[in-house]
Amino acid sequence: MLTLSRFRGFVLPIALIMLWSALSHRDAAHSFIFVPLENVVASAREMFLNGELSRNWTASLIRTSSGFAIGSGIGIAVGSIMAISRFADRLINPLYQAVRQVPLMGFIPLISLWFGNGESSKLFIVSLAAFYPMVLNTYEGLINTEKKYLSVASVFKLGRWRTLRYVTLPSALPSIFTGLMQATAFAWLSSVGSEFFFNPGPGLGNMMLNAQAAFRMDAVLLSVIAIGVTGFGMNFLVQRASRVFLRWRSTR
Amino acid sequence: MSGGAMARLDDDKRSEPSHPGALAIKSLNKRYRMDGRILQVLQDIDLNILPGEFVSIVGRSGCGKSTLLRLIVGLEADYDGDILLDDQPIRSTSLDRGIVFQDHSLLPWMTVEQNIGFALLTLDLPESEKKRRVAEHIDLVNLSGFAKAYPRELSGGMAQRAAIARALVNEPKILLLDEPLGALDALTRIHLQRELQRIRTQNRSTMIMVTHDVEEAVYLGDRVVVMDANPGRIGRVVTVPLPHPRDRGSRAFQHIRDEILADLTGAHDTD
Repeated sequence: MLTLSRFRGFVLPIALIMLWSALSHRDAAHSFIFVPLENVVASAREMFLNGELSRNWTASLIRTSSGFAIGSGIGIAVGSIMAISRFADRLINPLYQAVRQVPLMGFIPLISLWFGNGESSKLFIVSLAAFYPMVLNTYEGLINTEKKYLSVASVFKLGRWRTLRYVTLPSALPSIFTGLMQATAFAWLSSVGSEFFFNPGPGLGNMMLNAQAAFRMDAVLLSVIAIGVTGFGMNFLVQRASRVFLRWRSTR
Repeated sequence: MSGGAMARLDDDKRSEPSHPGALAIKSLNKRYRMDGRILQVLQDIDLNILPGEFVSIVGRSGCGKSTLLRLIVGLEADYDGDILLDDQPIRSTSLDRGIVFQDHSLLPWMTVEQNIGFALLTLDLPESEKKRRVAEHIDLVNLSGFAKAYPRELSGGMAQRAAIARALVNEPKILLLDEPLGALDALTRIHLQRELQRIRTQNRSTMIMVTHDVEEAVYLGDRVVVMDANPGRIGRVVTVPLPHPRDRGSRAFQHIRDEILADLTGAHDTD
């Protein structure tokens, strides 16, 4: 029973695959829209062997990781400065709240003007996508430290920096991890998404566009699956990391 | 009533040289300003506590007893009058004064030993000495074997023991206890009262405990300060002349307890 229940998450995907498979084999029209899975497997094999899949996958992943690192790094810094300094909070917060309302895609004309239509514009979009949730969650985490813990720090004469290091920062860690979780998801989505708006270059989004142009629905579906599985994997990694860093919290 | 209290206090104002851990409170007044109105929380508090003495403070909620502790520990610096520890005025927190809060206030991201070591962070001691002191105090509160446990893994009583160890590890002259056992069940509370008594005999620092529980106050205190509310002031101070360990069932114990209870419930209130 216990071992069976661990696989509950697979029931729905398998059912969908079976439905998909049934539809694809009805007639020619259906088999164009719902590509037979054996074709997808075949094209996966082909694109894996000729290096197409790994080339595009690596390009998307590298862009995501660099954008994530840049955006969340700066985001943590800006969020911390806003939380520590009232002056910085007054200065930055209104601008941040206003800019945040503009959808990422709304910046595309400006960004292409500044950074051109190539890889640097895509990287900028990804960084921005990771930046927003990091600022907010870092800031909220730091300013919401419970008063009683700050009293304890004061009783033991910790001083400003030790209080930050031993009290405020660890108490903000759960919120920072929520931010990292969101930042990973947004970075990955915007990394693939940005490929639709700028000049073609290696990447999973681009692979999908090319496949669509060539009427290769098997390759389109392969791209969708690669994007989904990779996103799932990244989320899993961050979750694992947060469980290690936050093991002092309740077990689940 | 307050005349009687004063007379008893004068007894304690013997002209002794200042021992470590002597606390003198002189005409202490504390007011809060709320929406333009002034709220008098503490009025004309006079109290002298001798080094090594255990003083319990009881009173109805709202009598300002917790505020009094916050002032002594130095978390609030805005008051009129004098609070002197060994003749030094108290204006902010200091490692001379430790405190145990009602909710243990252990840092959840630190293990028991890290939480206790937290109190030694600013002390200029070699790491080995800090380790030794932490281990010694874990033993003192009977938490050996739980050094690596996180607060969420501890029961309420164990967490409060850890908090007591944290407050004692830097050897403060005076230990303040703000309803430290208030959130515990009755059995754990009686057990920890005995533990506090034992810790006290091992560690001769001055202790002041605020509590709701009159029996607890009488069980532990050399003196019991009974506070009145609105504004918070000292009603009377009762000396408990019984030897330790005290027998809660004894006639003398019950007599003192009933007298204080009658005071608190207003059986002979003169207001």
